[in-house]
Amino acid sequence: MISRRQAQIIGLVVAVIVLAVLLVLPHQTGTTSTLRWAQVLYIGIAAMGLNLLTGYNGQVSIGHGAFFGVGAYTTALLMHNEGWQFLPTLVVAAPVCFLVGVVVGFPALRVKGLYLALVTLGLAVLFPDLTKRFVHATGGTNLVSLTRAELAPPAWVPLWVSGEGRDDQWAYYVTLGAAIVLVIAAVIIVRSRFGRALIAVRDHEAAAETVGINVAQVKVLAFAVSALYAGIAGSCAVLVTHIANAEKVNTFQLSIEFLVAVVIGGTATVIGPLLGAWIVVFLQHYISDDLPNHVSSLGPLKRVLGEPAASPAIFGILLILFVYVLPDGVVGGARRLYARLTRSRRTRAPAVPPSPTPLTT
Amino acid sequence: MDFSLFFSQLMGGIGNGAVYASLALALVLIFRTTGILNFAQGEMALYSTYLFWYFTQRSVPVLLAILITMVISFIGGALIERVIIRPVEDKSPLVIVIVTIGLFLALNSIVQVQFGADIKTGLPRFYAATTWRPGNVQISADTLVLVAMLAIVCLLLYVLFQHTKVGLAMRAVSSNAESSRLSGIPVGNVLMLGWGLAAALGALAGVLIIPQLGLEASAMQSILFYSFAAAALGGFDSPVGAVVGGIIVGVAQALATQYVHFLDGITLIVPFGIILVVLMVRPQGLFGTKRVERV
Amino acid sequence: MNQPHRARRVLVFIAVLALVGAACGSSRKSGGGGSTTTVAGGGGGAAVSDADCPPGQGSVGVNGDTITIGTSLPQSGVYAAFTAILNGEKSYFDYINAQGGVEIPAGSGTKYKIKLVDKDDAYDAAKTVTNVNSLINDSKVFSLFNVVGTKNNLAIRDTVSTDCVPDLLIASGAVQWGNPKFPWLIGSELVPYPLEVQTFVNYLKQKKPDATIAVLAAADDFGQSYVDTLNELVKGSSMKVVQVQHYDPESTDPAAVKPQVTSLAATHADAFLLAATLLGCPNALNAMGDAGWKPIVYMSGTCVSKVLFTLAGNNANGVLSVTPLMDPANPANDSNAAMQLYKSSVKQYAPKADTTDGIVGYGWTTAALFVKILSLSPKVDRVAVMNAAHALPSVKDIGLQIPAATWTTGPNDNFIGETFQMITYSVSAGHSESVGDLIDDNGKTADLSPKSLLNS
Repeated sequence: MISRRQAQIIGLVVAVIVLAVLLVLPHQTGTTSTLRWAQVLYIGIAAMGLNLLTGYNGQVSIGHGAFFGVGAYTTALLMHNEGWQFLPTLVVAAPVCFLVGVVVGFPALRVKGLYLALVTLGLAVLFPDLTKRFVHATGGTNLVSLTRAELAPPAWVPLWVSGEGRDDQWAYYVTLGAAIVLVIAAVIIVRSRFGRALIAVRDHEAAAETVGINVAQVKVLAFAVSALYAGIAGSCAVLVTHIANAEKVNTFQLSIEFLVAVVIGGTATVIGPLLGAWIVVFLQHYISDDLPNHVSSLGPLKRVLGEPAASPAIFGILLILFVYVLPDGVVGGARRLYARLTRSRRTRAPAVPPSPTPLTT
Repeated sequence: MDFSLFFSQLMGGIGNGAVYASLALALVLIFRTTGILNFAQGEMALYSTYLFWYFTQRSVPVLLAILITMVISFIGGALIERVIIRPVEDKSPLVIVIVTIGLFLALNSIVQVQFGADIKTGLPRFYAATTWRPGNVQISADTLVLVAMLAIVCLLLYVLFQHTKVGLAMRAVSSNAESSRLSGIPVGNVLMLGWGLAAALGALAGVLIIPQLGLEASAMQSILFYSFAAAALGGFDSPVGAVVGGIIVGVAQALATQYVHFLDGITLIVPFGIILVVLMVRPQGLFGTKRVERV
Repeated sequence: MNQPHRARRVLVFIAVLALVGAACGSSRKSGGGGSTTTVAGGGGGAAVSDADCPPGQGSVGVNGDTITIGTSLPQSGVYAAFTAILNGEKSYFDYINAQGGVEIPAGSGTKYKIKLVDKDDAYDAAKTVTNVNSLINDSKVFSLFNVVGTKNNLAIRDTVSTDCVPDLLIASGAVQWGNPKFPWLIGSELVPYPLEVQTFVNYLKQKKPDATIAVLAAADDFGQSYVDTLNELVKGSSMKVVQVQHYDPESTDPAAVKPQVTSLAATHADAFLLAATLLGCPNALNAMGDAGWKPIVYMSGTCVSKVLFTLAGNNANGVLSVTPLMDPANPANDSNAAMQLYKSSVKQYAPKADTTDGIVGYGWTTAALFVKILSLSPKVDRVAVMNAAHALPSVKDIGLQIPAATWTTGPNDNFIGETFQMITYSVSAGHSESVGDLIDDNGKTADLSPKSLLNS
């Protein structure tokens, strides 16, 4: 049996250890692994933002790939066409994405639940078409491909290596920095009055209105903040992948990936989605790269599992099994474990509501 | 103004819209009976169509093959509900969405692994695929058959829900599962029935529309958004709404392509805009039932 | 914490970023890196040197008698049908390896086997970047081969140029590969899109010099190549482009092209240029048939495939296109020795593949071309091999290459597939037939290419 204080100290120690590991990671592993962790971080950032909107505020969006794209294109075009350094582009990308989120948030006030999810899906499908019409970048396509020179970090930035590999480590540390800042920001938001308003609006909109919460403002701001997170994630992704691109299939898949990360990680906390992102990225990597090698020695039926065309099926099935076992995500499962260990019964408001949410209409 | 061109575009739009409406009907059926948005509906219909292709490749007569496929799909749909959806039905809607997404990924991939990723030809119709051109206005047999099927299905669904005990049970379960259980309605069986029917309907839709689309793994994904849009526009619990919604979306696309040139390449904005405006004015869709929030 | 404090915090955050940004110095724009010695000339090929390359990169991927090469293509998801290319490629490499390998240089007696590492990118350019980074850094491949997709190759363009890795035989007829600033990339034997347009225009000049032309083009750079070239070529002639419609290339359903084709049909144009891919082609042909419109149709060479023709039914009859290869579906070719070798080898090494599928034949031929380039190189070195690709001396009898055709590249010519055959499809025969003589447009692609695509 552990006391609450002891559990908090354990949590803090774990957080410090994780942070320390993340800080020295590029020094200990190669480029491929560093960039994969950077991918975990930027997907985690977007998922955190989506969680604020969907988990804490109950508005389901399957269109956050579009906001991600807005951030990515803003950064990529400024760096490619105007020669900007990366960090200044965030100064432009962040407010732009915030504003786009506001613009999307307003119509969302009238459209609820399932219908909102579909309208956001429309965004994810429309965004690539818009880029194809208005962006003519690398090779005249809507792809913006950045050169090593454009991606290189400023000379004064201290990194583990010099020369080859600098831009990958720069991409990693920028993304890590953004993730840390945004985690802290999310914690502050959630603990603020605004955070409580988010939950109140989600749980019972009419009641929230009667206690003086400006429901419209809360819901629009929720969209805006989540769009901001997704946009910054997109900007970081430009450094990691070296490109900004938009195709219907990709934008849709990104939107789904964020949602999956949120649910797998658990909607109850701020960092749950980061865990979810880690699972999603590494699971996909394992299925496409490692699994074929592991099953190749088994019989021909098993070898089917290693076929590239089968990897979405394996992922999908594992996803389904995962939510059977842990329907409230890793964090939810951890909490239940924690409650059992500390054997205390607190009446803390669950972040995931017990009754069906507006999604049923 | 060239009227024959206008009517050709109109008929073409109706034809496209009927395609969207077919899948939307299956979506609406599942929603109406279980309250779930099934992301995997298109892929379930796709798998059924591949089965149909498999049978016709082995010289099973077309109509018989359709029947067999629908029966197998019915059973498959019911099993999916029992085995895959039932464990999470009482969990948060987000979890249910994730499960249907997992199903979507899995089915699409299984189709490719089992049948191959190449485009299949030789998918037969049970009617001749002609196009008539009275007065220069194009009317295709595909469209007529599809619209007729949609009308018949809507009629059958209406009769089912309003005039049969089974339909009443389905309405009761989707409205309030707990009370239904207390009234002695076998909720589990009703849910399985709903999924089975939707799967069979999806199979019929697939068999009718995929000869026009071409049988390959991404066939349903192109129309996925449009079908969802059609269902949302019409109201998620209204079969008639799905048909009307689909037709509106199809016609809007066609007319925008013909008459609004500056939208060249981004005509998707038109149906998107229409849906947004309609939903803002009528949040439950054109024919949906309004959700009353009790304070 | 109430609102004003949080707002202030956000402002401070942005201000810090702005200061950091300002401190980082002003804009830094540099030209494309990498190793190039360009020769002046519009879209001309350029030789490479190892001047700006990382040291020791020349013989990476060569271990004893095995050369490791890599490719990235869609093997899952929406575009998984491209996996068929692997059947053709692997069959050829297996065939060559069974003979001991390829002699480099030819006649020296030193043979090298080829090992192909393939990765799946599901047509996603970001995954292609990851795959290629892994192929270069982890698998340490000697060269890239037949990477699929225009955007996919554009995304890795800078990487292969800075790392000096040959990106050989890109599976796309796009003109962007003729960009003189990026000599480490070269396209495959697919007919470059502008040459297709020229072929059609020349045909019309003979058959109907005052033709009105309607165009359906994909809404991306692929479609744009056709449209821009067409507009250029009809200048000063009595032909006229009466309407251009675009469609969404990602969409495979007929609804994506039907309204556009209905509109084009209403112009009653004499000719129809169909700049589409995959299912867009049969869908457009069917829509054309439904409208009762019977123009002279030219369809993009990327759509020449038995499956796509079959899906268009009778509407495919008489459709014109081009091909750089012999048609494996045409029984008349079965007596050809190269065709027989292809069919027997594929049956042996990839028994599940359909040998009458043009994609498999394309994979086979492209692998044969790669091996030919290796054999023409004086040594097994990346720079030497890349330069050999830029100096093809009218090679012939490569895989399923048309028997009388030759393929040439040079200092001003970076395109391979410039010798090809115009064909027309016959529904009654079930395969395509030749129209006119072999067309030799050697060296002509660069001038015809739309500059906005070639130089961006």
